[in-house]
Amino acid sequence: MKRTKAWLGVGITLVVVTAAVAAPWLTPHDPLRADLTSGLRPPGSPGHPLGTDQLGRDLLARVLHGARLALFIGICTVVITMVVGGVLGLLAGFVERWPSAIVMRLADVQLSFPFILLAMTINAIVGLGLRNIILSLSAAGWVVYARVIRGEVLSVKQRDYVHAAAALGIGRARLLWRHVLPNVAPSIVVVASLQFSQFVVAEAAISFLGFGVQPPTPAWGSMLAEGRDFLYVAWWLAAFPGAALALTALGVNLLGDWLRDTFDPKLRV
Amino acid sequence: MRGYVLSRLAQTALVVFLSLTAVFGMVRLGGDPVLLFMPMDIQAKDVNEFRQRLGFNDPLPVQYGRFLAGAVRGDFGESLRYRRDAMGLVVERLPATLLLGSTSLLLTLLVAVPLGIVSAVRRDTLVDHVGTVATVLGQATPGFWLGLMLIYLFSVHLRWLPTGGTGTAAHLVMPSIVLAAFFAARIARLTRSAVLDALHEDYVQTARAKGLAEVRVVGKHTLRNSAIPIVTLAGLEAGQLLGGAVITETIFAWPGVGRLTVQALLNRDFPVVMAAVFLTSLTYTMLNLAVDLLYGWLDPRVRVRA
Amino acid sequence: MRRPTALAVLLVVVLAAASFAQDRGRGKEIVVGLGAEPRTLLAVTIVDWTTNTQIEHIYDRLLDRDAKTLKPKPMLATSWKLVNDTTWEFALRQGVKFHNGEPFTAQAVKATFDYMLDPAAKSHYATSSYWKPVKEVQVVNDYTVRLITEKPYPSLLDHAALTDFLVMPAKALREPGGVQKLAQHPIGTGPFRFVEWKRDERLVLERNPDYWAGPADVSRVTFRFIPEFSARLAALLSGEIDIMKDVPPQVADTVDRSGRAKVRATVSSRINYLALVNLKPGPMQDLRVRRAMNHAVDVEELIAQVLKGRATRVCGPLAPTNVDYAPVECFKHDPERARALFKEAGVDPAKLSLTLDTPSGRYPLDKDVSLAIAAQLQRLGITTNVVANEWGTHLDKIKNRNTGDLFFLGWGPALFGQGTMEPLFRADQTYSSYGNNKVLDEKIARAVTIVDAKGRAAAYAELQKLVHEEAPWVFLWQQHDLYGVAAHVEWQPRADEKVWMYEAKVTPR
Repeated sequence: MKRTKAWLGVGITLVVVTAAVAAPWLTPHDPLRADLTSGLRPPGSPGHPLGTDQLGRDLLARVLHGARLALFIGICTVVITMVVGGVLGLLAGFVERWPSAIVMRLADVQLSFPFILLAMTINAIVGLGLRNIILSLSAAGWVVYARVIRGEVLSVKQRDYVHAAAALGIGRARLLWRHVLPNVAPSIVVVASLQFSQFVVAEAAISFLGFGVQPPTPAWGSMLAEGRDFLYVAWWLAAFPGAALALTALGVNLLGDWLRDTFDPKLRV
Repeated sequence: MRGYVLSRLAQTALVVFLSLTAVFGMVRLGGDPVLLFMPMDIQAKDVNEFRQRLGFNDPLPVQYGRFLAGAVRGDFGESLRYRRDAMGLVVERLPATLLLGSTSLLLTLLVAVPLGIVSAVRRDTLVDHVGTVATVLGQATPGFWLGLMLIYLFSVHLRWLPTGGTGTAAHLVMPSIVLAAFFAARIARLTRSAVLDALHEDYVQTARAKGLAEVRVVGKHTLRNSAIPIVTLAGLEAGQLLGGAVITETIFAWPGVGRLTVQALLNRDFPVVMAAVFLTSLTYTMLNLAVDLLYGWLDPRVRVRA
Repeated sequence: MRRPTALAVLLVVVLAAASFAQDRGRGKEIVVGLGAEPRTLLAVTIVDWTTNTQIEHIYDRLLDRDAKTLKPKPMLATSWKLVNDTTWEFALRQGVKFHNGEPFTAQAVKATFDYMLDPAAKSHYATSSYWKPVKEVQVVNDYTVRLITEKPYPSLLDHAALTDFLVMPAKALREPGGVQKLAQHPIGTGPFRFVEWKRDERLVLERNPDYWAGPADVSRVTFRFIPEFSARLAALLSGEIDIMKDVPPQVADTVDRSGRAKVRATVSSRINYLALVNLKPGPMQDLRVRRAMNHAVDVEELIAQVLKGRATRVCGPLAPTNVDYAPVECFKHDPERARALFKEAGVDPAKLSLTLDTPSGRYPLDKDVSLAIAAQLQRLGITTNVVANEWGTHLDKIKNRNTGDLFFLGWGPALFGQGTMEPLFRADQTYSSYGNNKVLDEKIARAVTIVDAKGRAAAYAELQKLVHEEAPWVFLWQQHDLYGVAAHVEWQPRADEKVWMYEAKVTPR
């Protein structure tokens, strides 16, 4: 069962990544090009394997390009939050006294705002768009890294060999490089993979509510919102973006589970 | 215990203060905050008069002080759309959200904890596999998508349940299922692994060796020890439950804080947004405090460490 | 442990279903699903169809309109006459009582006017295209009232026969704090009385048994506010609402086949247009560009493909349902002509980037139409960014002149010339997108004062020709209003958009 799950995770993730990267080669259609005379074609129509939307745009092209957008947003937010959270976590771990207290209280404050609500509000204030949605999601996601890394630094500092190293006059930078990073890397990878799917789903939710990526850009969330109006005559408009989203989340989650079981079974996120 | 309680209370007060500050800072992210606080039908020429009246010409510390003084009394200004005090509006919607939240929480615990326990005890059986698939799918399915599908099936096709709104217990069924789904999946997985961990502990092995019935082994020795991580996660995730309520309430037209916030954002009614965001944060912080106190009571070691 | 849990859950579900089933037996109640709640419960305050269509169940108009001919007919006023060019006299209905027992007299008309013209009310109706031309309200006796205008104002009658004048009670209005009380608990003479308003959820009204024209067949009217088409449709198909506004044309067949509801359609007097904003710097200030836009957009294709034929094309600012309508020639879809005009204006379509503001869900498929227009413009190489706004934000942007070069809007009920020409083609008006045309300003100012029928027809015909040539909009269509109506409800939509449950009949289930 465990192996099956792992393989499934790797497989699905590979499929999604391939689809995103190869989108322009997988379909001849432009996801933005409307052909009003062939609107709402069902899946399996000639030239449109997943059908078309109300404006005659090819749904396969839109779902594939949606994957690009989703992965792009996911990767950007994960990288940003990892760097910001990592730096804050290291700071809090190494300099215990008040920097630690500040970072940890900031983390409490951050956690007290549900991150979908926070991201939506920030977007509504600073304006909608791709850059802002990435930044607002990142603003909400750094906490987990900071906590994990701080914990790791604290526990590494307790170990004898580190005390020994410090006694030998080895600087903090080296300590960090030689001992903390290798220890913390697996946890970070696991956290990143689990956060990734959360961000992709959150972005879709925010776009679905109209505070994220704006039409006509093919984002899964806004495609779902548009498809909702035609749910009773064209189920495919809501079904495929929804399925793509769920599949992506599933694949990355399974992958994350496998990474956790392999690298860091005690981690709970 | 008393020292622990006091220190937690002090921390909580600090967090509340910081989150107020964050709310104050948030509306200044986009540049000129006065644009967020003017009534809909204001003319461009009246903007300056408004800036003056709302005090946006004062130095920032003065504005901040005034904001804090107001916030302490629950005064976040007047809603631009409803022309009433913003916090009052939000507080009115809180019971609906708490009702939905607690129903979901109850549903989660009723389904997820037994599922997790059974999966752990009957590890690698059919029950465990089905449970695993269900939880993995539950975690991957976006709530808004699940909501649409449920409406399609249960309201339009079968006509068993209403599409949205409030009034009867039936109105509560779909929203709480959607809100609980993701949460339940996480709790079930956590319960499973916590119980598995506990089952491997020495004292459980000892209890088994003593010939205690399996039900008692699991019930008495395992569950209490697994309870701590579950309670912790429940507390941590309560914030996301409140966040999930934003989406669920919107889809099912549930008149809670989440839907009010979305509408206020759409209408650019920022006094209400500020009040709602702060109240959500406050609710979460209080829940967390409660969880921490409960935690301290469950596990005496925590008190000492704090 | 597991079995009792399962039992408990089952019990809850069964109880819930049972209570929901009870809720279904609504008798002679009608639930109407609309996109938004009223912006106020006070009469004569806000120019907004959604608001007024709901509150006119509580308040009566001075004059009604015939459902078929759309001609004014008696309501609270039984007859009217023009005493001289600037004086209108209305004879009022006797024996009518407000819901609080207060008798309806000429004082009510005067008090309502006083409220509206008070700057504190911030009424949209206190402007020149509505009631500002009225300089005095004379109470002749209890049942006779005269409206005296500065200049001849022939459209006054048309405004009186819309929700532009809903009458509130004099005494209740004039007592201290009376306005606030009425805003909380409106009192009118209408066929339904106010019961409750749950913000963001519903407005509930009950039958007024003492209505002067006889009690309604419907015992209770509930307006439920459901912003999304899809959610309204789900509510209609699940039987929670009985009347749904704006069924998307693509879904009409599904509704008809559902067996639960039928689509009832009418050609509305409301027109939809794409404004080419000349009130701010940009390419749309050039007449040649505006004409090119009219040749570039294929209106017939939009109607056939996006709206599935559920719209009737208009070529000028007024539609045939408008009493002042005169035919004008259509701009032909002609990409070559469009290219030539762009070239003449020195505009390279490939470098042209436009922003189109659209509401989302206010008009039939508004956002989809806007996206389709963007796609058509793309064929000439023009880039168009479509910005979908929430309804209130959209109106704000128009009012504050913050839209892009293009915006999508509907206008109606558009039954008479003044009601379109004056508010939309003069720079100083709330919702206009075009103006600062001296010739047009003068001709409009003259046309709206002409009392003589022949002269008026000629003046409006000239105006329509002029506006057509100026191409301030891409002229689109009269929308077809598609309502989903539950099988047990008998009700027909009207071209003047009056959604009036007094006219509905219910077969109890």
